[in-house]
Amino acid sequence: MKLYEYEAKQIFDKFGLKIPKQLGVIEKLEEIEKMSLSFPLMVKAMVLIGGRGKAGGIKKPNSIDEAKEIIRKMLQSSIRGYPIEKILLEEAVDISNEIYLAVTTDPATFDIVVVASASGGIDIEEVAKTNPELIWKKTIFDNAKELEDTVAEEAVDFLSKNFSDKPEIKNQLKNAIKSLYSAFQNIEAKICEINPLILTSNNQIIAADAKIVLDDNSLYRQEPLLKSIGIDPQSKRHDVSEQTIFEAKAYKIGFPYLDLLENPENFVKEKDKLYVALVPGGAGYGIFSIDEVVNVGDRYFEGKVVPINFMDSGGGPSLSKVADMFHLLMDHPTTGLIITSRFGGISSCDIFIRGLIMALRDRHLQKRRMIPVFGRMVGTDLAAAREYLEKAKKETPDPLEDLHIVVGNQKIMADVIRDGIEYGFKIKKQQEIRG
Amino acid sequence: MSEMKKEKLEANQGLLDYLIKHVRPELAEKIDQSKSIETMIVGLGRQGTRHAQLMMEYGTNVTCGVAPGRSGTKVHETIPVYASAEEAVMNHPNIAVASIWRHYSTAKDATIEVIRSGVPIIVLISEFIPLKDVRDILVEARKHKTILFGGNTPGIIFPPEGIKIGMLPDIFQAQITDEGGIGPKGVTILSRSGAILYHMSDALASAGIAQNGVLGVGGDGAIGSRFVDLVSLVMNYENTDLVVVAGEIGGMQEELLAQDMIEHPKKYSKPLVALISGANAPEGKTMGHAGAVITPGQKYGTFNSKKELLEKAGAIVVNHQHDLIKAVKSKLNQTYFRVEDYYERMKKKWDAKSPEPTWGTLITKVLPNNLVIKGYSLQDIIAKKGLLETTYLLTKGEFPKNELLGLEKIAINAAKEEFLHLDKNPEESDVSKIIGTFLLLDKKLSNFANSEKDPSRVAAYSLGRVLRYLSIYFGNSQKLDNHNQDQLSFSDLIYLCLVGELPEDKMKIKLLEAIITACVDHGVTPPSTQATLILASTRANYEVAISAGIQAITDVHGGAGQKAAEFMLSVVKKSKETATDLQETTFELIKETIKAGKRIEGLGHRIHTQDPRRDVLWDFAKKAGYAKECVEVSRIISDSFYRVRGMNLPINVDGVIGAIIADMEIDPKLAKAVFVFGRTAGLTAHYYEEISTQPQMRRIAFDKAIYKGPAIREITE
Repeated sequence: MKLYEYEAKQIFDKFGLKIPKQLGVIEKLEEIEKMSLSFPLMVKAMVLIGGRGKAGGIKKPNSIDEAKEIIRKMLQSSIRGYPIEKILLEEAVDISNEIYLAVTTDPATFDIVVVASASGGIDIEEVAKTNPELIWKKTIFDNAKELEDTVAEEAVDFLSKNFSDKPEIKNQLKNAIKSLYSAFQNIEAKICEINPLILTSNNQIIAADAKIVLDDNSLYRQEPLLKSIGIDPQSKRHDVSEQTIFEAKAYKIGFPYLDLLENPENFVKEKDKLYVALVPGGAGYGIFSIDEVVNVGDRYFEGKVVPINFMDSGGGPSLSKVADMFHLLMDHPTTGLIITSRFGGISSCDIFIRGLIMALRDRHLQKRRMIPVFGRMVGTDLAAAREYLEKAKKETPDPLEDLHIVVGNQKIMADVIRDGIEYGFKIKKQQEIRG
Repeated sequence: MSEMKKEKLEANQGLLDYLIKHVRPELAEKIDQSKSIETMIVGLGRQGTRHAQLMMEYGTNVTCGVAPGRSGTKVHETIPVYASAEEAVMNHPNIAVASIWRHYSTAKDATIEVIRSGVPIIVLISEFIPLKDVRDILVEARKHKTILFGGNTPGIIFPPEGIKIGMLPDIFQAQITDEGGIGPKGVTILSRSGAILYHMSDALASAGIAQNGVLGVGGDGAIGSRFVDLVSLVMNYENTDLVVVAGEIGGMQEELLAQDMIEHPKKYSKPLVALISGANAPEGKTMGHAGAVITPGQKYGTFNSKKELLEKAGAIVVNHQHDLIKAVKSKLNQTYFRVEDYYERMKKKWDAKSPEPTWGTLITKVLPNNLVIKGYSLQDIIAKKGLLETTYLLTKGEFPKNELLGLEKIAINAAKEEFLHLDKNPEESDVSKIIGTFLLLDKKLSNFANSEKDPSRVAAYSLGRVLRYLSIYFGNSQKLDNHNQDQLSFSDLIYLCLVGELPEDKMKIKLLEAIITACVDHGVTPPSTQATLILASTRANYEVAISAGIQAITDVHGGAGQKAAEFMLSVVKKSKETATDLQETTFELIKETIKAGKRIEGLGHRIHTQDPRRDVLWDFAKKAGYAKECVEVSRIISDSFYRVRGMNLPINVDGVIGAIIADMEIDPKLAKAVFVFGRTAGLTAHYYEEISTQPQMRRIAFDKAIYKGPAIREITE
């Protein structure tokens, strides 16, 4: 879970790092009236995405009028898909030096890595690429609770080479590094980063920015921390950009779902393309099935096939959840074909087919939009599932007219996908002729 | 299609053994001798318990389980459970693989404990483990050179050896040799995701490509052994012809592997095919620069970064099932089995009805017309053994050797100890309700059961106490207290308490005990046993569970003896009054009873057409000289009933007991009392079996129990 800058700073403050005085976090322009502000002032857009400074999300107004204008504009805009809903107002600090400081996770070994550089600021990534010698790194192999003095001192020596050798600064730096590490371990973060950590002209070390990514898996035992920044410990913050209505719906029902199309509610379809929705099984095949649809489309259908969603429908969903998955995709205005795969390992083919048939029958009765379904099922309870499917097709042929499920291993999924897409184009053509 | 040979590869010839050998050669030597790889299950919740069963069905040797607080109990009735990994490994030093099924909040401690116990291969099924905990686990795993699959792995499976650890379904295909046996060769698959494995195996099998091992490395961001730790190791296994890795976007596992291949090409002697998912996934939005700063200049985590580097390292990268097949085929130029046979095998498998879930009891096997307790037929037990010996058998599995004296002492003392101040005949007339109530009120019994670990001793104490209650019920408690018990055996006491006197004829004592022994148990399905088991499943106190069971003994279940005795006595009486023979009188009275809309008690049985306890009790009564008129009625009652109703209803144990009690000229109420008394032993055995071998609050499918106790055997003196 990502934290907003003001939340991260409040946490760092608790661990002994100095932060600029926060004057308030506002969501409406009017709120500024009640505040006593002094200038220059920092106005910072609170969005859970990087690159804010370059996108105009950080401003330093010198008057109240200027501040109001900036805030008014900010609250109407968004940064890379994230609408600006909160703005942090804090005291500006003067800058003598910008330091980069981070405690994070090594993607190769998963150990803790402490990173420091005297070349902090918005171009740190560029620095890392062009002048890697300006970056100091230390891997902590034993997952120690606190950072050893010697390691912190090593970092301080590296940093002070570049700007200052004053003992009071070195001491502050050492404490800052140890505090950041301590915060990282105590709040069980994945990333704690300060960029820049500022050395002011009067020799203060202050965290001018702060980033924290918490480990979702440990949130359950971080109740005091979460409460201290006003987050309900039982609920996880939804921290991807804005949810589409379909994502919100799936989130509510309780299965992982992502739209692959921008603005899917009002998506304008290209006339000659087939839009394919997926109910693929577990998350791994969820990602892979998107590739399969694109590959089959590129190879046999001139690249005219577009997958519209990612879904994790694995892990043995209940009957009603299976039905909800299909309802969601058939209500999706872009869907032209649904491809599904049930490989019943832990989960049951029987529950899956019953849920799917239930959804189709309901929709037929309610005269809701019906979409052809192509797929395959194999695995646990297959015999019962096949029996149910055959019986259902006899009993209610109309709602199941466009349900095409291969039973067993005779065809691999790639071929089922190809058959489905071919059928999808055929139906599409017929509909176009009918007008 | 010719029938496949069902043989498996020996455990010491497969990939799993190769991996063990790599980490702990001394353990591999043991496996060479035993030809068996011992595994343990850590975490016996619903999932762990269920999959323990599935693993065993697949062929895995599950040696023991670990669950805190459950030391000394069993899982799946026979697998010992220990409180810690340390204790488990102390008892089973050859455990080579552990699977961990604990909840994420306790997974760390459990895993570290297993690592420290020295188990070389760990399959960490648990998902959502906090990252900080994962790091602690990794620090420990590195120290001990543990091969750690997961967290969040579906497990590992080795089709040629028929071993799986984890939850992978049985769909992966081993090599079939020209001779029709199982061969060790094939490709080895390593995958980050579980679901994708099915589709890979599916694709490969459709081209006749076997898998000699499928290793789920774990789907979490931070895991134990990574591709870079495992691929070169697996490639050095002689029977691995090619390695397939299934990677996906995110993380840098694939890049690390590629980097290592570029730097140490000699380590990678076999072809590598990588199936990477996520070419068309939307660009992830990341926060912070830390990732890029610690790996300057190195792009990682995207489809392209993985593909480019792996291709540079000489791997074939695919993103489509048909490309996977093509790539593997191009490198191998061979198949490992006939594809048609594979389809045939799978069709058979999918068409098969899934087996119904069963559970086991080791106490009593109920067969039509036969009852077997711990392998001994109940007829033999009644004829040759006493009640306390049978009680010991029920609770401990064997007849006592020198424990009998101790048990007898416990039982006698228990009968002697005062119970409340209620030592006079209570108002209530129903014996089940009285005994059930007394059990609940008996503080001494409760204390004894709480502090005593040995179920046979609890059973003996309990029998003594129930005897005490019965003496109160029959108004004999004063006689019990007045007697100089030092001279009396427990068998004597039983007679004294139930009948109120000691008979001249010692055979009477033996006969009564035989009747009681005939009632000790009837498996898990009688309502009284069901009631006790349900209470036991909630871990209710011993005496509470036994009380519930006793109170389920009514006229409908187990209590028909009294009514049967009364009926037979009325037959004998009328026969004398009317000077009609017993047969005719029986017929007449049955007719009358049926006409009045009443039941004839003591006839018919759910399972037995000839109650196995019938003949042995008749014989016993005859030998003791108490096979008189009522026993005679019990012999002819079935035929008379047929004459009235045209239905075959055999005499059951209640009927036989009723007849003998009537002929012994003791109170017919005793018929139900002896059933209650005897069944106390069986209920005790079931109570302890339930709490020590089954999970709490399980749903008990009583008719799905399977007897898993000793095979049928003879009593040797």
